[in-house]
Amino acid sequence: MARFLFVVPPFFGHISPTLSIGASLIARGHEVKWLGITPLAAKHVPAGGEYILPEAELADYQEEIARILKRQDDGPSCSGPEVMKLALEETYIPIARLMMPGLSNFVDAWKPDVVINDCITFAGALCAHIKGIPSVTTTPVPPDVMGDTANSAPKIFEWQQNLVKGLQQEFGVYGDDIVIHSHKLNMVFTSQAFAGFDEPMPHMKFVGPVKGRPNEAPFDWERLSKATTPKVFVSLGTLLVDIRKEFFQKLITAFENQPVTIIAATNPDIFEVWPDNFIVNGFVPQTELMPHMDAVICHGGFNTVNDTFTNGLPMLITPIAYDHFHTAKLIENSGAGLSIRYKRLRITDLRDTVFELLQNPKYREAAIKVKETFIAAGGNDKAVQLLEDFAETEKVLEPLN
Amino acid sequence: MDTVASTAKLNNDEIFDLMKQFITEVIGEEFVEEMDITPESSFTKDLEMDSIEIVSFSEKIKQHFGDQIDFTGWLSSMDLDQLIDLNLGTIINYIQECQ
Repeated sequence: MARFLFVVPPFFGHISPTLSIGASLIARGHEVKWLGITPLAAKHVPAGGEYILPEAELADYQEEIARILKRQDDGPSCSGPEVMKLALEETYIPIARLMMPGLSNFVDAWKPDVVINDCITFAGALCAHIKGIPSVTTTPVPPDVMGDTANSAPKIFEWQQNLVKGLQQEFGVYGDDIVIHSHKLNMVFTSQAFAGFDEPMPHMKFVGPVKGRPNEAPFDWERLSKATTPKVFVSLGTLLVDIRKEFFQKLITAFENQPVTIIAATNPDIFEVWPDNFIVNGFVPQTELMPHMDAVICHGGFNTVNDTFTNGLPMLITPIAYDHFHTAKLIENSGAGLSIRYKRLRITDLRDTVFELLQNPKYREAAIKVKETFIAAGGNDKAVQLLEDFAETEKVLEPLN
Repeated sequence: MDTVASTAKLNNDEIFDLMKQFITEVIGEEFVEEMDITPESSFTKDLEMDSIEIVSFSEKIKQHFGDQIDFTGWLSSMDLDQLIDLNLGTIINYIQECQ
């Protein structure tokens, strides 16, 4: 049995797949903990696991953490290059910096066999490198979001490299190696075919979507069972607070009195009255709901994308910022959905596109093909096997290191 | 319009009108109507163009001017701040220099 420590950012979309794998590891008898910089509600943590918030070491950074989180609201109004700066300079690097002291102390105390860092949570692999602990990286989105900047935009590549090396040097890691990600195992929660990789580097393992995290959100199943029109699930994820009202107003204008039932995951308080054909809940049991749906509208949050294609459903993606555009391109490439950029979203196009997805079987057929690649990727079982093999191999190698 | 153009040099106003036409074709007339496009308009911030739109815009420039202008090559040599600040005036000057 081994001790696994997941190091996660304050963004639920990135934490979510680690909770699912963590639950599977615990079921196999391993010890699993998570470490992050903001509180995580106990209901999300799989039974037998523990979420560590190093409060003492983070005490001096509370204002900075609040500022970093608030800054994320600006993402949707930022241009592509601005988002790159926001992400790396104002989010990932500062999070790594303020996470290091608490992480370092906890790792010394608990002595994990393997540190598993989320791809934007650089402190995990960096700390593991410094302490000589084997590390694995988890990547919840299709990689290569920024493209091949080394060749296509050399100045941007140099900027990325310099920022990361600067962070590493602050913690005494010199030289040209980038150690914020594992070079031995990087698990990606999509399929190789969907991500569009012909020849990934050998340490990149596409395990497909993982599931099984606790989600006890209540839902009015009876009302859903009475719906007679095609059901369309709509999610805007957990971020993007500022544009929520505008987004759902467009949906209402497009679909009230239309022959569809909209199941929306958002706080109902944003409007006093919703149309009769809208079922709205702040939190939904998304995994259980999805098999009852006929199509999905989302901005490109990857957990929803995975849930959608795991059920072979067609998707309208309305990319807003961050990696959404990359995901939108992959969805269009697969044929399993259509993309309309949020900033150019016309009500008529929104309506017409959803009916096209519902009525033209080619999208569903393509979505089922994506589903098959997801299943073949192995999911939780594959992820657990990779992690167990990794921990075992590293233990054997330890005396040689 | 979508053919490699005549060799006649365009002046700044003509280039500006041509760029405005390309932008309208790329992002759609109704979205352009809400914008006040000037030489100071920045590509990413004011016109809110994403990478797909910038690629279609580049293709239009290529179709119009042919090999005399390597717009994509010029863009890829920029750093992030240059990309953020890139406005129509800068592009007009670049095209003027290349002609």
